[in-house]
Amino acid sequence: MDFRLTEEQVARRKEIYKVCEELEKKKPKSYVGFESQFDNEEGWAFHRYCAKEFAKRGWLALGWPKEYGGTGTMMDKVLLAEARGYYDLPGSDIFGVSMLAPTLLAAGSEEIKREFLPKIASAEVMFCELWSEPNAGSDLAGMTSTAVRKGDEFIVNGQKTWNTGAHYADWGFGVYKSDPNGKKHHNLTFILNNMKDKGVTVRGIPYMNGSHVYNEVYLDDVDMSAKYIVGQENEGWAVVNVLAGFERSNMDMVYGLVKAQEEFVNFCNETKRHGKPLSQDPMVRNKIAEFACSIEAVRTLAYRVADQQNRNEMGLMDAASVKVFASELLEKFGQIATDLLGPYGQVKHSKWAKLNGSAEYNYQACFVPIVSMGTNEIQRNIIAWYGLGLPRMK
Amino acid sequence: MDLRYSEQQEILKKSARDFLTKECPKAKVRELENDAKGYDPALWQKMGELGWLGFNIPEDYEGMGYSFEDLAMHIEEVGKNILPGPYISTVVNTFAIVEAGTEEQKKDLLPKISNGNCILTLAWLEDNGLFDASGITLKAVHKGNDYVLNGTKMFVDGAHVANNMIVVARTKDGSGEDGITLFLIDAKAAGIKTEVIPTIALDHLCEVVFKDVAVPAKDVLGKVDKGWPILQMLIRKGSILKSAESFGGLQAVFEMTVAYAKERVQYDRPIGAFQALQHKMSDMWITLGTSKYLLYEAAWKESEGEPNSKEASMTKAYINEAYKLITALGVKLHGGIGTSSDHDVPLYYRRAKAADTAYGSTDYHRELVAQQIGMK
Ligand SMILES: Cc1cc2nc3c(=O)[nH]c(=O)nc-3n(C[C@H](O)[C@H](O)[C@H](O)COP(=O)(O)OP(=O)(O)OC[C@H]3O[C@@H](n4cnc5c(N)ncnc54)[C@H](O)[C@@H]3O)c2cc1C
Ligand SMILES: Cc1cc2nc3c(=O)[nH]c(=O)nc-3n(C[C@H](O)[C@H](O)[C@H](O)COP(=O)(O)OP(=O)(O)OC[C@H]3O[C@@H](n4cnc5c(N)ncnc54)[C@H](O)[C@@H]3O)c2cc1C
Repeated sequence: MDFRLTEEQVARRKEIYKVCEELEKKKPKSYVGFESQFDNEEGWAFHRYCAKEFAKRGWLALGWPKEYGGTGTMMDKVLLAEARGYYDLPGSDIFGVSMLAPTLLAAGSEEIKREFLPKIASAEVMFCELWSEPNAGSDLAGMTSTAVRKGDEFIVNGQKTWNTGAHYADWGFGVYKSDPNGKKHHNLTFILNNMKDKGVTVRGIPYMNGSHVYNEVYLDDVDMSAKYIVGQENEGWAVVNVLAGFERSNMDMVYGLVKAQEEFVNFCNETKRHGKPLSQDPMVRNKIAEFACSIEAVRTLAYRVADQQNRNEMGLMDAASVKVFASELLEKFGQIATDLLGPYGQVKHSKWAKLNGSAEYNYQACFVPIVSMGTNEIQRNIIAWYGLGLPRMK
Repeated sequence: MDLRYSEQQEILKKSARDFLTKECPKAKVRELENDAKGYDPALWQKMGELGWLGFNIPEDYEGMGYSFEDLAMHIEEVGKNILPGPYISTVVNTFAIVEAGTEEQKKDLLPKISNGNCILTLAWLEDNGLFDASGITLKAVHKGNDYVLNGTKMFVDGAHVANNMIVVARTKDGSGEDGITLFLIDAKAAGIKTEVIPTIALDHLCEVVFKDVAVPAKDVLGKVDKGWPILQMLIRKGSILKSAESFGGLQAVFEMTVAYAKERVQYDRPIGAFQALQHKMSDMWITLGTSKYLLYEAAWKESEGEPNSKEASMTKAYINEAYKLITALGVKLHGGIGTSSDHDVPLYYRRAKAADTAYGSTDYHRELVAQQIGMK
């Protein structure tokens, strides 16, 4: 095996870290954790600012084919995710850059690629995902919102839910039932729409910590153009699967943990209990070391995923492992960190908070990666059925 | 970056697998657990002929001169199959001679080890059970041209069959890292008494009592009073290689469990169709993946000569727990049959506990990790 980055990659990494380190200094005070770009105007403005900074360096088109404006390699994309995770920076639209762009490259028409890829690469257009419905979560194919074809238009009706960032997004990508008589998995169409379209109503749902991350999206007789279909009409399920296949390395989540560990070690060194630094408490040392071992373990596995992606292999099972392990590690860290802060574990970002309130933040925000993008139970199903070949639930 | 086994490594692994499947079936593993020697001398000879005992010995001393990473991959297969006897400890302890031995010590012992004619063990732990330097209390007193050793060592792997032994002793008052000296001695020297301790893996760890054992000064390994860094090196490399063995073992149990879940039928369907078991097997897979690259990062760094004591300790601490977790799940998912000594899974379950204390327990290594991630 060879764990070494090439000289070129090392140089790239340095460059990326430098840019991110500078951006971090401009982070608004209210920006506390990885979903903060959606929570308020300041956060969203910072997201757009970072995105522009990345765009002008070509970093939102990493690993794309040159003919569509691609720059760099898949590994560069991983390195950017790493640095963004470490400095807790937004700037790379998970829906546009990470999910839709590779899907368009794999399944989009030439016209749609030419229209949207440049806008994604330049950070001009931000996307949201209109998939889940009140009665179709894990079992997405059971959705009921409809798209009825009328010439070159679809008239779309229904309700979507849990749509992250829909209150700021310019465009959305959604799936709708387009053939009421069609067989399951052959009755859905994948369409892009402008969020400013008539009939689109976005209503916030507060996350448990009170922040505004996701929304309900009501669609009332929304006209969507047939030219914005991705893939074939009634074959949107295949596109959903293509998109779901573009698992990210989750390197940003992993490096968020790396940073959390560093900050926590510093905190333990500087905080005295009974006249002795917290870091000298054997129980604390043991817990933090256990955490550090797990982080390093998942970091190396995330690099294995990156290594596979760089070779154009999917590495889906390993990617599912990283998603489950890292998100549950974040949950555990939220618990350990709030415990060790004592009564301060409950304090939100404020002048009283320790560690800028990040422990309290993670205690709640950990469920974002655990539940979204296919819950961890669904990931475990995927590993069992497709990875281990165990009988599939009917 | 390329995190795959190379083609050559795949061949290396396959030949180890084929050899052990043929030469060391589980019936032999069980037989050797209750055998007085605890290893098969004829098998040891064959391993010597194949070069297995000289993987990490330079070619100048009749070894194979393989990389550390190759060695780890080979030992992964050893762990997958289970190989009773002091094989891994002989290989690990050999590094002390390779890296710290005099020319004479190397010429004398390395070819013998490589050819399968010398079992080399390490007398390190004592009845205090401590892994750090303060645990070393066995005294070696300088008298004329000799050092005289008095004290007791515990958990010495295969001491009763070893030809040579590295003894970790105190040559100066105190309990710190300074004042510790390694001696490379004849394991059958006068004044040494060994007794096999009944342990969970029935792996023939011994109590070794030293009574006025005279050791010529030329048998010091490395420098007088400066033995701790050599022992640390052995702990580091041993941690990685022991983890490689454990990683092999946990894979074996994972594979057996998934295979069994597909064939065992209850309630008219294979038990692998029950989600309660599927998710446990998925967790086993996740644990396997996280263990694998942690282990090989540490092994690769060792091969490249890069600092890796943090990664080595992380690997040992993590895989100690992973091995126990996976083998315990393996037992449970097999139901009743998984609890029988006739079944293979408990062979691994018991070894997971034994592996966990070899070259330092989880808590010992977590403390080393704490120091190296900046905990003051
Ligand atoms: C923070 C956040 C952001 C999100 N962002 C978006 C977004 O931007 N766009 C969007 O479309 N959706 C989004 N979602 C929705 C998300 O995809 C769904 O919440 C998720 O797919 C689960 O669906 P559900 O909430 O309906 O739960 P359900 O599917 O009802 O699941 C409830 C419980 O049952 C379990 N379960 C369900 N099926 C199985 C099964 N077959 N086997 C075992 N267990 C099962 C689940 O794991 C879960 O524990 C977001 C969700 C969250 C929490
Ligand atoms: C120490 C010991 C003493 C015993 N003493 C007696 C005794 O005196 N008399 C006697 O008659 N029997 C006795 N038994 C047998 C015991 O009752 C069975 O071992 C037990 O019922 C499990 O059956 P099994 O071993 O065939 O495993 P299986 O039923 O094959 O189970 C294998 C695995 O699949 C799981 N599994 C099976 N079905 C499901 C399901 N529907 N959903 C989820 N998981 C499932 C099990 O939990 C287990 O993990 C004893 C067993 C042991 C270990």
